[in-house]
Amino acid sequence: MRYIKLIGAFFKVSAQAEMAYRVNFFLRLFYAFLNLLTGVLSLVVIFNQVEMIKGWDLPSAMGLLGVYLLLGALRGLFISPSLESVAGMDGEIWQGTFDFTLLRPVDKLFLVSFRHWRIFALVDLLIGLGVLGYAIHLMGAALTLGAVIHFIITLLCGVILLYAALLAFSALVFWNSGFLFTWVINDLFQLARYPLGLYPGWLRLILTWIIPVGLMTTIPAQALAGSLSTGMLILTVLFTIGAFLGATWLFRQGLQKYASASS
Amino acid sequence: MNHQGGWALIKNTWQSWLQHRGFFFLLAFGWMLPLLVYLFVWSAAAEGGTLNGLSQDTLASYYLVLILVNQLTYTTANWTVGDIIRYGQINRWLLQPMSPIYHALSSEIAGKVVFMLFSIPITGILALIIQPQFNLTWQKGLLFIPSLLLAWMLRFFWGYWLALMAFWATRADSLLALQDSLVFLIGGHLAPIKLLPDWMQLPARILPFRYMSAFPVEILTSQLSYDEIFLGLVIQAGWAFLSVMIYRLVWRHGVRHYEAVGG
Amino acid sequence: MPESIIQVQDLTKIYQVPERSPGLGASLRGLIKPQYRQVKAVTQINFAVDLGEMVGLIGPNGAGKTTTLKMLSGLLYPTEGTAHVAGYTPWERQPAYLRRISMVMGNRSAMNWDIPPLDSFRVLSKIYDVPENAYKQTLDELIALLDMEALLKKPVRNLSLGERMKCELVAGLLYQPDILFLDEPTLGLDVAMQRRLRQFLKQYNQSHAVTVILTSHYMADVTALCPRVILIHHGQLLYDGALQSLAEKLAPFKLVKLQFNTVVDDFDGFIQQFQEIEHLPKENGHHTLRIPRGDVAQVTARLLQQLPIADLTVEDPPIEAVIDQIYEEGVL
Repeated sequence: MRYIKLIGAFFKVSAQAEMAYRVNFFLRLFYAFLNLLTGVLSLVVIFNQVEMIKGWDLPSAMGLLGVYLLLGALRGLFISPSLESVAGMDGEIWQGTFDFTLLRPVDKLFLVSFRHWRIFALVDLLIGLGVLGYAIHLMGAALTLGAVIHFIITLLCGVILLYAALLAFSALVFWNSGFLFTWVINDLFQLARYPLGLYPGWLRLILTWIIPVGLMTTIPAQALAGSLSTGMLILTVLFTIGAFLGATWLFRQGLQKYASASS
Repeated sequence: MNHQGGWALIKNTWQSWLQHRGFFFLLAFGWMLPLLVYLFVWSAAAEGGTLNGLSQDTLASYYLVLILVNQLTYTTANWTVGDIIRYGQINRWLLQPMSPIYHALSSEIAGKVVFMLFSIPITGILALIIQPQFNLTWQKGLLFIPSLLLAWMLRFFWGYWLALMAFWATRADSLLALQDSLVFLIGGHLAPIKLLPDWMQLPARILPFRYMSAFPVEILTSQLSYDEIFLGLVIQAGWAFLSVMIYRLVWRHGVRHYEAVGG
Repeated sequence: MPESIIQVQDLTKIYQVPERSPGLGASLRGLIKPQYRQVKAVTQINFAVDLGEMVGLIGPNGAGKTTTLKMLSGLLYPTEGTAHVAGYTPWERQPAYLRRISMVMGNRSAMNWDIPPLDSFRVLSKIYDVPENAYKQTLDELIALLDMEALLKKPVRNLSLGERMKCELVAGLLYQPDILFLDEPTLGLDVAMQRRLRQFLKQYNQSHAVTVILTSHYMADVTALCPRVILIHHGQLLYDGALQSLAEKLAPFKLVKLQFNTVVDDFDGFIQQFQEIEHLPKENGHHTLRIPRGDVAQVTARLLQQLPIADLTVEDPPIEAVIDQIYEEGVL
């Protein structure tokens, strides 16, 4: 399909642009390492004090960390670079060059979601997989096929939810072009580092049904540990579909707003 | 030393930052969130008991106060100094009859005011929701104030001389990122010092990072005996004055190097 | 009579601009019940453009030129009225329509600044689905016409403004659009580059029959390229026709420049006898008189008869001055 070929072209151009910036492959490697270190060390420090928090032990918490890193890597691979190029600091809305994007004979949502890639995120992806793998090793007990399937489904849901959340927040820029909405959701995503169960009830509700950062990592981690109920699985899938539709609707509304008010 | 010029600069900076307070509130929000995460994590971990003598209430109040103290001591100027050197804008500063540190200080003070406009209400609301028990004695309060001032001084000058490395190396901000990570890991953010594993205790107590934000909070939330407080104050003052001396050394050599190389 | 490729009828754009009064009380009130003010950017304009025409859209800042252009390119929904461009309604932004138009803006860049222009062009060729050989052919032609061979491998951020504009034009034309919207294309360029680009645009318009609508502050662009101008002011279409006739209509006089053999006393007194003649400030030793067109022959005859004139020339007022006058006085 044409759109798949287009993704290929975008990927290629982004790779070229990235390599044009010889700003330190090593610097980025350093930051990736720092990220990994703080993540793992945090868990070590916490579980040095307690064996279990609200039903989560070190292996399962590490599994969640792995999911968190994986999602972060996917976000950094194309979701963030593409959306921030429109809604972020020095983005097209900020600079007034969004008109060019609007004029392209390609679906705007597609363009805005897949246009820019940062291939270094592949390293982050590997690190995330590594942590996940280590967590599975720590969990020891056999991974059932059911758990793996549940895990893959919920992980996919997590990615789509993250995309929907970022898309929705990015769309808000059409109504208030000066505010960096994407930073809000990126900050809130940090709450996804730890299982939902740790947070007080009122926060848990917010992080599940309103800004579902909790769903993104806790559910897949539960699936991996085999403790996800089928009911919750179905609920998650339905919610993900709803969130995706809602976010895309919001974005298209934003486009309309832009085209009736831009001067 | 031009006091009038400095004061005018502070006022100007403050007014222009107030215009963009949405952006600065967003920054403050981003810094607050990680600490909030660990507030919940440790509260959940300490449920129904104490961790190494620290109750749920103490931990919650520790983190709430830490959010404010961290905001007060966090230096934003450090990040911009490196850029200013790299892009040659420092030439303008060097030409002015006012010590360049005034620029950094003025943005510091202006920034604090704007950030606190956000942090104080939000922390207040959180305190009302969480309602931790908090015992404040006037003695602890009295010791808290000098410790807070020393903490700011230490964090400012330590970060500043690291940022001045930009005179020699182009990407000195990796050093600042490292400092932030160390403050997080062994400086009392990831966990109160008391809860760190044994092998981290000594480095945490000797190195300056704890004294940059956590130490005053420990005093205020009654985690320390008077002996520990006085020992800590001595170490903190030592590091603070050392940081000023290193800063002056680095500045002098840096400017000389910069002017020799031709900026 | 072939149907015009661009047809605009009663096109109107009214913006609802939120009103923000100062003060805390007003801000709170504004939150609950926001006040709006209507800004009429474009009011009931009508015109038609034929295939291959080059039309200049002129008017002072804020007149509504860019708004009109944006409606024609589909970037903006109108409040009222219709427009048909190449048979499409622009603001439906159908991909087939978008493939046939192009917008190039002088102060905004469509290029990716980190990579050489060639790479940006390639991505665009994929987005516009340009077949490989057509792409190569068009690109070669444009590069030759604009003399850009040397620029292709340099990252865009290292190019000068003029070089970048050349790239913008290539980016806008590499998929062979039928209609080209140019918004201040020569903004900020030096005179030589402006001339170069004008030459290119003229050549391209003639060889490819591209319909062009151009807005520009530089009258030199318009005089060089656009036989026809549409004047918009305060959102209204004030004039649509040949540029020359506009000047004649707006400024129905000519300038007569005189140089004398000997010193003439009381030249002003002499002039007084002619009504409606203005004695303009002296320039380079020339006296300049502004005389209504109808009277030129008669007055110059009298002058030649009665004064020791060494040199006399009759000129049209510079179009720039004419247009400036409208911009300033807002009258036709």
